[in-house]
Amino acid sequence: MLGGYVFTWGGIALGVAGLFAAGMEFHDAEHLCNILGFLVFLVVFLWAFAARSMPRVWLVLLGGGGLMTASASLIQHMLV
Amino acid sequence: MPDSVTLLFAFVLALAGMGWLALAMEAHWEQVYGEAVCSPALARRLRWLGGLSLLGALLLCLAVDHATMAALVWFMTLAAAALVVAFTLSWRARWLAVLLPGIRAELN
Amino acid sequence: MFQNLRLSMAWLHTWFGLVLGFVLMIVFFFGALSVFDREIDRWAIPSSRFEAQPMPSFDQVLKPVFETMQPSAERIDQLRNKVNGPVPTHFTTPSVWGAYTTHRDPVLGLFVGYEVPNAKEHDTRVFALRTIDPRSGASLPDDRLKIGSSFFYPMHYSLTFYWKNVGYWIVGLAALIMLAALVSGVIMHRKLFRELFTFRPNKNKQRSLLDLHNLTGVVALPFHFFFAFTGLVIFAGIYFPITHTQLEPLHELHERLDAEETGLPHDRAGVAAPMASVDAMVVEAQRRWAEKGMAGEVGFLAMRHVGDANGYVSIYRAGTDRIALTGEGIHFKAFTGELLREDPPSSAVDSVNEFLTGLHLQHFRHWLLRWLYVLGGLMGCVCIATGFLFFVEKRKRQHAKQGSQGARVVDALAVTTVTGMVVATLGILIANRLLPDSMGAGWPERQAMERYIFWGAWALAMVHAFLRSAPVAQGRLNPAWREQCLAVAGLAVVAVLLNWATTGDHLLRTLSAGYWPVAGVDLFMLAGAMVALFAARKLKQRAQRAPVLRPESSGPAHA
Repeated sequence: MLGGYVFTWGGIALGVAGLFAAGMEFHDAEHLCNILGFLVFLVVFLWAFAARSMPRVWLVLLGGGGLMTASASLIQHMLV
Repeated sequence: MPDSVTLLFAFVLALAGMGWLALAMEAHWEQVYGEAVCSPALARRLRWLGGLSLLGALLLCLAVDHATMAALVWFMTLAAAALVVAFTLSWRARWLAVLLPGIRAELN
Repeated sequence: MFQNLRLSMAWLHTWFGLVLGFVLMIVFFFGALSVFDREIDRWAIPSSRFEAQPMPSFDQVLKPVFETMQPSAERIDQLRNKVNGPVPTHFTTPSVWGAYTTHRDPVLGLFVGYEVPNAKEHDTRVFALRTIDPRSGASLPDDRLKIGSSFFYPMHYSLTFYWKNVGYWIVGLAALIMLAALVSGVIMHRKLFRELFTFRPNKNKQRSLLDLHNLTGVVALPFHFFFAFTGLVIFAGIYFPITHTQLEPLHELHERLDAEETGLPHDRAGVAAPMASVDAMVVEAQRRWAEKGMAGEVGFLAMRHVGDANGYVSIYRAGTDRIALTGEGIHFKAFTGELLREDPPSSAVDSVNEFLTGLHLQHFRHWLLRWLYVLGGLMGCVCIATGFLFFVEKRKRQHAKQGSQGARVVDALAVTTVTGMVVATLGILIANRLLPDSMGAGWPERQAMERYIFWGAWALAMVHAFLRSAPVAQGRLNPAWREQCLAVAGLAVVAVLLNWATTGDHLLRTLSAGYWPVAGVDLFMLAGAMVALFAARKLKQRAQRAPVLRPESSGPAHA
């Protein structure tokens, strides 16, 4: 579950930063990513239970989440 | 036609639609008609009838309200109708025979 | 972890469903009640039992009240850690005046947000609240608890557990698990369409319970899914506060750009200026809405930077005729009354978001849909309750043979959360009718007393459920179910009678006057009493028929 949260946080952060940078209005980007974010969280949560390999789950969730979060901060740094 | 009457008709159509869809299923057909046979052709026709009836309910809902509201009213009406049909099958299965006049309901 | 998808989903569904099911019962039940929160308010506050009123004149009715509103002692007290130096007792710089009404509100809620001098963070605000009768401008006493909109409704989304927002998080987690339970339930249920209408009450108890669980779950599946999902989206700012933490700089950047673009000043100018006629602005706003083909009533009035040259008035339309929560906001310069900005039509994403939030928050006017929502909510409760009962039934005999207390504990908790919760709800309504208007010295406020009685009644129900649960450890039925059903039936009737006794508004009078809010609450309680009585009778019959199983019995194994 925590892994899922990290992954989703990263996804939303990257989504918002990326879409805003690409020109979408800020609150629109925020709302869209929130909506998609919860669906992503749901899928990822279910996958974590159904998956066969636990290490793989952790790698994708924490690794992917961390990577996306960092990318979001990078984009922000370039804009502000 | 006043709105409440239209919506009442929509509910009736939803009930009938759900009823026909239920009758198209073997287990429920048996509950209502016992030994009488339901041919595949009849089952198919029941499904079509059910589907069209549900669609009709949607159109009536759209006639009453703004599209977004009508969609929600329709979804919830379908849920209520399905619930009523399920309970009818559990306790008074024979009542569903009214949906197919011409075939005698199982007497038991 | 598991051999296949179906098994892993079954494990997830069972155990997470069990643990968070208790929270979800509360969320669904109080959510269903909250559909009619304002009607419950009127039952609880007899002085507000009149017809719903439109937004009254600002210039004549609202302005004088706004000018006299000050925050309560309690709220001023909460500022202690947020200011440098002594806490001010009187506030003079309002940053916002707001009034909000819907087509279901007889009384009007007003709020004022004051700037706090010497605050550590410059955008700290303290709020003053007031409820008035819009026909006269007279204020209602502050200590009347609006049981519907200020207790049942917050219970639904936060369990009224406000410390560090923990309640919100618990509900959010429960909502996510709800979604997972729905999906895992579908994966587990092989014959989803074939068994759509299947409910076999005459088969063995486990089969009947499972049938009902599946029926109430599947038939309203879109409803359950959408409500859990939209609930999460509404509070996304709490659950994923990304734009106020990690991406705060981006947010600030956007706000600055936005302020330049919209022409709505972000800060005060520091120059005093009187306000022009707001009533004239309202007339103009309504004219513009009608021009767009969206004629409507005023839902929300807000004045910002009050008394300042940069002040502006925002007028939003009440969302009665569609699902989406659009505001069609129109903004005027406070000093001159000239139009500053007409909010443009929503973007695609915005429209989707407004639809999703509007679906859940229900500001629309459609009585049938509201009742259908209540039906959906109650179906959710039945789904969760039958889930508990199925869990207990499946394991009861096994646990009896093993001498384990597991099934017994779950069963007692189930009684607490199903019938116990209803007992507590009726308890607070009865307390509302019986408590004196002012509690007298030494006693807590009336509002607080009502809340304590709610929690107290629930605790009593729990104690009762546990004390009576011994038979479950022997594989039999817990008599607490029947006893609490009888209690529910009795309490419901008492509540209706008390309404008559203390306000004179008995059913014949409210029905003949067509005053549905109060009649509706009374009728709903009476219907509930009948259901509870029926259940109690069925339970008695079942208890008389059930076989007795002893732990050391060498009887045949059960299926």
